[in-house]
Amino acid sequence: MEAPVADDRLLHQRVVGGEEAALGEVYDRFAPLVFGLAVRITRDRAVSEDITQEVFVAFWERPLAFDPARGTLRAWLATIAHRRAVDHVRAQERRKASVLGPRLLEPEPERLEDTVLSRQEADGVRLAVGKLPDHLREVIELAYYRGRTYRQVADELGLPEGTAKSRIRLGLRRLADALAEEST
Amino acid sequence: MNDDPTPRLYLDALEETAETPRTSLRPLLLTAARARRRPAAAVSGWTAPYAGRIAAMDALLGQVGEDDWHKETVEGWTLQELLAHLAAKDGLVALAVGAPVLGPPVTVDEALARTAELQEHERRRAPGQTRRDWRTQADALCRHLAALPPDTPASVGGFPMPAVDHILARALETWLHTADAAGAVGVTLPQPVPEHITPTADLCARLMPLTMRVSGHTVAEGRAVRLVLTGPGGGRWHVPLHRHGKAVREGDVNAGAGAGGAPADATITCDVAEFCFLVGGRGEADTFAAEVEGDSGLARDLLRAAPALSGP
Repeated sequence: MEAPVADDRLLHQRVVGGEEAALGEVYDRFAPLVFGLAVRITRDRAVSEDITQEVFVAFWERPLAFDPARGTLRAWLATIAHRRAVDHVRAQERRKASVLGPRLLEPEPERLEDTVLSRQEADGVRLAVGKLPDHLREVIELAYYRGRTYRQVADELGLPEGTAKSRIRLGLRRLADALAEEST
Repeated sequence: MNDDPTPRLYLDALEETAETPRTSLRPLLLTAARARRRPAAAVSGWTAPYAGRIAAMDALLGQVGEDDWHKETVEGWTLQELLAHLAAKDGLVALAVGAPVLGPPVTVDEALARTAELQEHERRRAPGQTRRDWRTQADALCRHLAALPPDTPASVGGFPMPAVDHILARALETWLHTADAAGAVGVTLPQPVPEHITPTADLCARLMPLTMRVSGHTVAEGRAVRLVLTGPGGGRWHVPLHRHGKAVREGDVNAGAGAGGAPADATITCDVAEFCFLVGGRGEADTFAAEVEGDSGLARDLLRAAPALSGP
């Protein structure tokens, strides 16, 4: 779940103030997400390690490029990781293409948006939600698209709060699996 | 922020399947980071508020473009000249405590004259050199001070104070000018961490008897103001305003009522960072956002006198 924005602000203040330990904390909190995201896109663990390192070094080196008033640190780091991973995949494809000879039609390069998901990918996520089994889709839709808390989801469905919570997590895992399958 | 919950859903889903990279990546990352941006010279101890502001200014300078160095900031100075001004005043503190001083030998221990001297010197150099030497001097000053007790007496520009107060004054000025520079290049500057704001605000509170005196107010013995500085790093101070008055921090603002100490003639409640900036000469006393209870004349005198020691 999303880290509270107040934590982001304090971590950011500490990193701007040159406190190395704060970078370590940012890494510990977000490296699994960043690395997992890079692996998912590049399918290459060595490349994903390089991308992970670049993402956190970039945050340390230019911490004022992040503005906590404009979004979460998690989304910001994931956006950079996404961009670098996609760049890597495209460079690979170009290399392959040049080995195979010139292409007749160069596909229109997708504009790199300032978001963790392109419009197309966001559509893919929504589609994957629609394909979840009913009992999982229901809780994900309530929790995300209708802004309900765990407690409210539980109340509306007449479930114990713990059950609602574990269903949401199961839904998230299924969703991640579906998205991973789709991208291969 | 985007209202579409899909990106948040996507990230939450990814976190459920996140993968931990091998543990040896962490130390490699920290080494690589250190090589690209120097960490603060101190993160604890009495020089930390200053070291933190130096690191923040350096982070800003690390991302400005070539053209930004020639942008006007304050006092009609370019960013490079502003940095030379900071280096000049840091250098006078360095001189007072026997730390290495940047640039040509100091001919006169006076802030504006030394600023002009160093700006003249730095204008002939590349901005990158000005930046490197300013940072080197600041870090050397931190290292030098770390070996001294904080109450080491030092006279800077004929103004005697303990070394810790000189360095807190440098922290405040670096903070103010980093905000000036950030404004000039269109970057949002986050605040210092609360642990660095508190000692800076404490210095500001302790300067009040002096700012009253140099502003021509003669305050009778026993007259005092309670300063309630709100926001992260804030607190409550009891500030006796007669010429030898010593402000004392009474505790955290959030400690609740009943934490009040000695009686005061007026209570001024305002944001801690805004109060520091007022003392640093930013903002107008007459339109300053403060809540006043009790003797409003005394409170107004204090707020108007607050910037009395601020220079460029």
